Amino acid sequence: MSMKNNNHKLILGIYDDPDKVLAATRKVRKAGFDIKDVYTPFPIHGIDKAMGIQRSRLGIAAFMFAMTGLLTAVVMMVYMSWGDDWAINIGGKPNLHIPTYIPVTFELSILFTAFGMVATFFIVSKMAHGKNPTLMDIRQTDDRIVIAVNLHSDSDNKAISDIFVNHGALEVRERESSI
Amino acid sequence: MYESPIREVLVEGGKTYTDVSNDICRPLENKATKGWWIGFIVSALVLALWIGATTYTLMTGIGTWGLNKTVGWAFDITNFVFWVGIGHAGTLISAILLLFRQKWRMSINRSAEAMTIFAVICAASFIVSHMGRPWVAYWPIPLPNAFGSLWVNFNSPLVWDVFAISTYFSVSLVFWYLGLIPDIATIRDRANTRMRKFMYNFFAMGWDGSARTWNRYELVSLILAGISTPLVLSVHSIVSMDFATSVIPGWHTTIFPPYFVAGAIFSGFGMVLTLLVIGRVVLKQEEYITMGHLDAMCKVVMLTGSMVGLAYITEFFIAAYSGVEYEQYAFINRATGPYAWAYWIMMSCNLIAPQVFWTKWARSTPWFIFVLSIIVNIGMWFERFVIIVTSLHRDYITSSWAMYTPTWVEFSILIGSFGLFFTLYFLFVRYLPTINMSEIKAILPKKQAQH
Repeated sequence: MSMKNNNHKLILGIYDDPDKVLAATRKVRKAGFDIKDVYTPFPIHGIDKAMGIQRSRLGIAAFMFAMTGLLTAVVMMVYMSWGDDWAINIGGKPNLHIPTYIPVTFELSILFTAFGMVATFFIVSKMAHGKNPTLMDIRQTDDRIVIAVNLHSDSDNKAISDIFVNHGALEVRERESSI
Repeated sequence: MYESPIREVLVEGGKTYTDVSNDICRPLENKATKGWWIGFIVSALVLALWIGATTYTLMTGIGTWGLNKTVGWAFDITNFVFWVGIGHAGTLISAILLLFRQKWRMSINRSAEAMTIFAVICAASFIVSHMGRPWVAYWPIPLPNAFGSLWVNFNSPLVWDVFAISTYFSVSLVFWYLGLIPDIATIRDRANTRMRKFMYNFFAMGWDGSARTWNRYELVSLILAGISTPLVLSVHSIVSMDFATSVIPGWHTTIFPPYFVAGAIFSGFGMVLTLLVIGRVVLKQEEYITMGHLDAMCKVVMLTGSMVGLAYITEFFIAAYSGVEYEQYAFINRATGPYAWAYWIMMSCNLIAPQVFWTKWARSTPWFIFVLSIIVNIGMWFERFVIIVTSLHRDYITSSWAMYTPTWVEFSILIGSFGLFFTLYFLFVRYLPTINMSEIKAILPKKQAQH
């Protein structure tokens, strides 16, 4: 349900109770309306299922970054202690000594995972320092939860509004999406 | 969320979502109190002592310290291990307790993580200042250079330590910042001055509380917790290997990694208690950091204190059992030699003192918890002093035996590092929410939250 035109109307249901939001979201989705997003000041468990959000694939990304870190560490250490450059003889210890590589390999895997995964998260969530957010309601990061539904030319505004009100919305209003 | 009928609530006082935002934001939205200014100025003065003494050391050299040929490590590495250890409680609370689904962590994890970051900064400063030639502090980093290239020795635990501490610091910082973003957005949307709006808007990265973002965010937090857990264990294990891989009697023991990790958690929780017993009263957060939280932390202190105590006794037993004369002497010398006073301070502060937490009274009396937390901090500082100085000062050859006496410079750097720590902590309290608002809102009992 991607939006072709950038600016269109939204209908907002504003709540203060996560349980009511869950029920309303399920109902709106079941009725076939196009939920844009649910904005909440704290994570609501089960909202992803209610909205039909797929499980994030960031875990796979994290694993890839871990492997990159691991490979970087091993290649670096093998090259540096075994390469054509100055191989250092320290106490006659072997130059290619796998057990002593473990700590650095481990640390670099963690470092790459953490930074890679968080950077990926910022990119896919379109987050950046200094970005101005488009807030549906100024209190959506404080004590209000907002369900935003995209309105199409054939959408039944009244039906959506009724679902919102029946599930205990404090307020229902329309606005431009302006994104 | 399921609400257990028998468990105590994690947040008292029937708070609503609005109350949570108002209560947690109050210290940073109101004008700074007189108490804050006094604390900040005192810390900054102590920090000035640190700056002076460290600068003097860097300009003159480590000859300003009381080190000698036999005792080549003393206050510097003691302080380093002490501060790194303190840092570990932050990661333990935010990562390990998250994996174990311990919800009581939620009102203390933010300040504990801040403590981690500031403590690691203090620790790193000792690494640089003890080098003697701090202008080549970048040498442990494997950079191509004009000497060959001459690379670092990857068989050395000191090199592992560079990787471990820098990874630990940067991953902790990322974890902390990620946890702060939703709360920074809350402050942004409540801000009423242009400056505050601009600053918090900058750091909030456009956070709007979208459920899709929350969904990814929670996964990222979980994975970060998952990787931070082995990370924190590895960091102090590697710190302990700085000693354990050497051939010095008293250092060369296989028990070191788990023993150091337990000690780190012990000292870290000691410091968390020191900060929070005071902080919860001053910032009026008794309803968020309840007696139940203090009780749980006291139990952790008691458990880890006993683990450390067990390690002390095990070391003694293994020294006797090994039949190695040098090893046996190192331990007898610890308990009865010229530094026996330090050894017995360590034993009584770390093994004996925390046992009072078996009683409910001790766990529910804030002033007593505060006193005990200071005792734990002292004990754990002495533990590192005992391990380092008593193991070194009587060498294999009697002719090289020596005593170590710290100079005023070393004392100034030690005391001054608390100034560095507390200055950063006071700034944190003033500009960032000390309790994770979004997590607290998610665990409020349902019936009370929306009125």
